[in-house]
Amino acid sequence: MNAAVDERVDLGGIALRNPVLTASGTFGYGTEFAPFLDLTRLGGFVAKSLTLEPRVGNPPPRIAEAPSAMLNAISLENVGVDAFVEEKLPALPDGVTVIASVFETEIDRYAEVCKRLSGVPRIAGLEVNASCPHVKSGGIEFGQDPKLLSQLVAAARGAASGPLLVKLSPNVTDIAEMARVCEGEGADGLSLINAVQAMEIDIETRRPVLANGLGGLSGPAIRPIALRMVWQASRAVAIPICGIGGIRSAEDAIKFLLCGARAVQVGTSNYLDPGVALEVAEGLRDHAARQGLPRVADLCGSLDFPHA
Amino acid sequence: MASAPAWGVAPAPLRAEVEVASNRDEGAGNHRIALRVPGFPGFAPGHFAMLSPGALAAAERTDPLLPRPMALYRASGRGGDALVEVLYKVTGRGTALLADTLPGQRVRFLGPLGVAWPEPAPGETAVLVGGGTGIASLYELAARLEGGDVRVLLGARSARDLMGRDDFASLGVPLEIATEDGSEGVTGLVTALLDPVLAGAAAVRVYACGPTPMMRACAARAAAGGRSCFVSLENNMACGFGVCLGCAVPVTRGGYALVCREGPVFDAASIGWEGLP
Repeated sequence: MNAAVDERVDLGGIALRNPVLTASGTFGYGTEFAPFLDLTRLGGFVAKSLTLEPRVGNPPPRIAEAPSAMLNAISLENVGVDAFVEEKLPALPDGVTVIASVFETEIDRYAEVCKRLSGVPRIAGLEVNASCPHVKSGGIEFGQDPKLLSQLVAAARGAASGPLLVKLSPNVTDIAEMARVCEGEGADGLSLINAVQAMEIDIETRRPVLANGLGGLSGPAIRPIALRMVWQASRAVAIPICGIGGIRSAEDAIKFLLCGARAVQVGTSNYLDPGVALEVAEGLRDHAARQGLPRVADLCGSLDFPHA
Repeated sequence: MASAPAWGVAPAPLRAEVEVASNRDEGAGNHRIALRVPGFPGFAPGHFAMLSPGALAAAERTDPLLPRPMALYRASGRGGDALVEVLYKVTGRGTALLADTLPGQRVRFLGPLGVAWPEPAPGETAVLVGGGTGIASLYELAARLEGGDVRVLLGARSARDLMGRDDFASLGVPLEIATEDGSEGVTGLVTALLDPVLAGAAAVRVYACGPTPMMRACAARAAAGGRSCFVSLENNMACGFGVCLGCAVPVTRGGYALVCREGPVFDAASIGWEGLP
């Protein structure tokens, strides 16, 4: 019965064998997970965000626990775009769908990273991480200012030859506006949400728990926020959406598809259980089979909400 | 130590949902859990596992969210019969939840993980220094070095707090104890026991695990005498296998090392002690 369900989806020109990917920053460069799951059976994975040069991350403490969530402030730690292409990509088995994530502090640097990743045969598409603080604008995230976001997506679009996704920041008042900006500048799809800006305090030391002070909140606690934003964005644009936020089961993933997502990314749950993403994919397929749906994609946007 | 066992190569980690065989309160907040781990690939001294009460892929419990890194204490049996012991102290909500886990219930297990203690070089006296919960990461090392040139120094607040004391006592290794309240052994810190050992033996390798100030003191004493010292660091981790990048510690080569992947065992001279939180 399961074999009859068509799991394939198209995410802005990226052909996925199923709608379950793993989120950037939670899946390393892929090979770390090889002992725990068959990477080729994932819909795909988004690699750790890359900058032009290798970067060292923040001082510790970098993570903290919060109710049904965690905070992190790792910053830009990564091997750099060239080492990714030359060393990390070739280490992956054939048949893995790789999306490269781009993260920088200035627009021309974003564009340069996109350019270096364009045309690399193993890369199925790019995801521009718009949650980086723009230093010249006093640290506001690119994704928090529609003008900055528009410039960023236009520059990335100009530099990227293949499918281009934009990963949106949730730290905005109107996610629909940001989604429309990306669509208007030629993005092929959207990924949302990134981590929610947050803080935790140690009352004994009277200091923030993270050395960086602020961090990003992720995990099951943010899932309802993410669902709301995916639903709002999906009504604002025609380009496909990849839903992210606290997914740890097929049930969670189904909720995102119902709210209009074409695909999902499993994030923080990869840390807690490195095999979970495949179980989400299998559970999604089984759910579609139980519902008598020919395609998993038939779930997408099928929310029964008359006030929409 | 020419006959030191080879344990350098780490087996591939096992991801499994395992059954609690027993889970006992040993007093002073110390607990001992035994897990039935079918297919356990074995471990080397110093390896750890990520433990989280509850079933794999079960969405019913989301809080506390993160699994806890725990030193692997001892294992017996092979294949389907493997029983893996972990000693832990209840220090927060995660360990309290683990302590509430009953025989027959399930625990998520990921391990063995990390870099093991190095074997002593031929001619070296292995000096194991354990403080508080750090004692748990030294038992297997002591057991494998039994019969060789090894000494064990353990310290805790009081006799009641001495984790695994009887297990160490039943090994055939010289054991010295220090307690802060003087209820057993020498009164004071375990580092006081280290000084005469460093002064006496010709070639020494120190293996230290305990509170950061204790490990820092061991490292400083060893360095002052030109002795080799290895430490096993503790840190918060979300994953345990090198992807969350949460367990970074400053290192003298510049930048950071991940406790989960490059450690938890490090050459003490490689750690940027002044930058540790």
